[in-house]
Amino acid sequence: MKLGLSRACFYSSCSASIFSSSIPSLTTIKPKIPLFLRPPTYSVASSDLQKWHGWAKSLASSVGSSFVESDDGPDSTLLCRELNWLLEDSLENRSSSSCFSFAACNYDSLDGIENVMLRISLDDLYQLWKQRIEERRPFQYIVGCEHWRDLVLSVQEGVLIPRPETELIVDLVSDAVSNNEELGQGLWADVGTGSGAIAIGISKISRSYGRVIATDLSPVAVSVAMFNVQRYGLQHVTEVRQGYWFEPLKDVEGQLVGIVSNPPYIPSDNISGLQAEVGRHEPRLALDGGASGIDYLLHLCSGAAAMLKPGGFFAFETNGEKQCKFLVDYMQNDIAGSFCNLNIVSDFAGIQRFVTGFRQ
Amino acid sequence: MSSLIVKRSSSRFSHVDFSKFHIFLSLNQNHKVLVSGLPPVLIKTIKNPSWSYLSVSRYHNFAHLSGKDKVLASGFRVLKSLFSTQSAAELSTSDGITVDGIVASNWTILDESESDWKSHAAAIAQSIQVIKRRLQWKKLMVRLDLLSVQLNKPDLWDDPVHAGKISREHGSLMAKMKKVRALEQELLEHIDMIKLAREEDDNELESEMLKALLQMRRNSNEKEQEALLSGEQDSCPCYIEVQAGAGGTESMDWAKMVMQMYKSWAQRHGYGVTVVDEMPGEIAGIKRATIKVDGEYAFGYAKAEAGVHRLVRISPFDSGKRRHTSFAAVAVIPILGDGFTHVPINESDLRIERFRAGGAGGQHVNTTESAVRIVHIPTGITATCQNERSQHMNKDSAMAVLQSRLDQREMARQAQVNAHHTQSLTDIGWGNQIRSYVLHPYRMVKDLRTNYEVTNPDSVLEGEIDGFILSYLSALLDKDEDCRNLSA
Repeated sequence: MKLGLSRACFYSSCSASIFSSSIPSLTTIKPKIPLFLRPPTYSVASSDLQKWHGWAKSLASSVGSSFVESDDGPDSTLLCRELNWLLEDSLENRSSSSCFSFAACNYDSLDGIENVMLRISLDDLYQLWKQRIEERRPFQYIVGCEHWRDLVLSVQEGVLIPRPETELIVDLVSDAVSNNEELGQGLWADVGTGSGAIAIGISKISRSYGRVIATDLSPVAVSVAMFNVQRYGLQHVTEVRQGYWFEPLKDVEGQLVGIVSNPPYIPSDNISGLQAEVGRHEPRLALDGGASGIDYLLHLCSGAAAMLKPGGFFAFETNGEKQCKFLVDYMQNDIAGSFCNLNIVSDFAGIQRFVTGFRQ
Repeated sequence: MSSLIVKRSSSRFSHVDFSKFHIFLSLNQNHKVLVSGLPPVLIKTIKNPSWSYLSVSRYHNFAHLSGKDKVLASGFRVLKSLFSTQSAAELSTSDGITVDGIVASNWTILDESESDWKSHAAAIAQSIQVIKRRLQWKKLMVRLDLLSVQLNKPDLWDDPVHAGKISREHGSLMAKMKKVRALEQELLEHIDMIKLAREEDDNELESEMLKALLQMRRNSNEKEQEALLSGEQDSCPCYIEVQAGAGGTESMDWAKMVMQMYKSWAQRHGYGVTVVDEMPGEIAGIKRATIKVDGEYAFGYAKAEAGVHRLVRISPFDSGKRRHTSFAAVAVIPILGDGFTHVPINESDLRIERFRAGGAGGQHVNTTESAVRIVHIPTGITATCQNERSQHMNKDSAMAVLQSRLDQREMARQAQVNAHHTQSLTDIGWGNQIRSYVLHPYRMVKDLRTNYEVTNPDSVLEGEIDGFILSYLSALLDKDEDCRNLSA
């Protein structure tokens, strides 16, 4: 890791200090089990659960639009939906959660049941919801998972929660693979994989032919990614390696048919103003992209030139139009001759989000 | 057990006198029609297990073609009119009684508890007529003939899509026709057996047949109800959409009550309910919502609910405690399965938008909100889904809604071409006011189409709407049949 740090000319001292202050060794990190996968061992009177639900709901309602106004955080409606999902993940019988979520008047339908089985104690439920509202702890850390594409990925503090926008990278790869069979049969890399989301997403596309190596510098991310890979039974096609960007991939230099990445791309100056859920709780290591936010993207571009086979495909997520244009310009001029068919792709919000292209 | 009965009944037939056998011989020609027109498969369709011995005896008869055994099978004559096809041939007992004949002779229908075979037979015959009317029997027969002609064309499979459609429709109509035929045959067989038993003074057989008729009579209600749902799409799952009318919070609250009514109704029926899209009101209720209802005949029943629902009550949102009238519109859209033709969607015709997205997005934002809106640019039809936990799933869900909306639009378009379908289909879109729920100054729910009414609105709002649905469906089909008779 030190090797990685010393070689990383763009690596900000700030994230390095966060990182070095909390380096657990890889072997000691056991990923947390997401709530919905825990055994339902807590028997709780349904009236007590109703009481909690009522309390949690009014706490959510008290938020109103104050979070929206302060930093574009969640409003009451969204928090209430999260509350239903928390209930869904906590209850043994998922369908009975609908009795709660449909409408308050539907509580009646639970009256016949004396006790319900929960995957978490009632005290912890109170605790978690308090954290959600008062500390703005991200909902995904509360339930320990993020629904992403058709996957349910384990996430925990120290690992970036995969974003909806990033789902599109899998579609971009899927399109590229369907136009070119060779891509589907080769070796792919997801560098800076975090929870392993993209790696698992593209492994499922090319399941029978290709292989994917996912890398991450963070030991927590590596263990969470491994957990997720195993949960989807993909350990034969998806390998997780710890290390700095392409460092752990030296043995496959020039052999990759595809590289995907959602690297940290937020300019350092913006970090302090981020939405509380992000700024206070998610790992800065996965967010801070240096002064202009583009440090790692540039590193990825030059790395991809060395790592990709001719004809190999890449897709990178960026901060938006400015970074997309900068990258395309960089690849067309500064490292001209390395890449072709460069393309900027927008996300569903209409923001230019991805740069794709092929190794020449 | 059944083989014993077979032996018993076949020995019974050995007593049959020769005059009947003569009838059999003289009607041999027609008998052939019967056998070919009603293959043994048909007998299998008699579901009631207590009747298995009859089927077995029939097989027995065919297997051991001893002349006397064949009397029962041949006891049925087929009165063939000159122009009717084989499928339209009318069944009758050995002495010429037909189902229509039974109804026409106006036998008194007594209470079920009365052991009178004529009463049972009359009740069953009436049910069969109801079922036929609901299936639009004459139209069904004409259509079946038409399809048979098309199926016999040698070049049919040049267009496999068309051919598949034709053969699927033929198969489904054939199945309906055979079910009714089986009922008719069962009834007439029982009558024959009862007469036989009486001639031979066999009390045991007579009482068995009487019991069997009673069982048929009891089952016939259910069969009448099944016949209400004979439309091509009736067995499909569906979306139910509720949209609040003008009037702010009061009508949004009403929309939510209506949606709750359907959720409870669906749950009572054991249907799966998933909220696809829900736009809450600012203070209470919903602006609109879409649920998916999964299960057999969800569309067939729910389609009866499409239209505008009106509420009159003292509004809890009015500090002046005044009486308010609010409206909520309900649409019901079938979710057509793989067997149906879907409107093809070009990816390039779609605009997919993140719903309620703002700011920089990406890593800047952590939100569990991943709603997606899909716009089908050529038609302007949109679909939104926000209740799934990932954007990908929201997109899939919204695509499914969009597909169903486009399919429905196409069906409506086709229905305008086939004018005879128009009536039932236009009723399914957002339509006219269909029902009124009054909570004040009196309490009543009344369907404006059928005048069916209930004086306990609470039970209705808790999902007890089957009475409304069934009365509407029967009325709809009876009306259709009347129109058809007029135009015929």
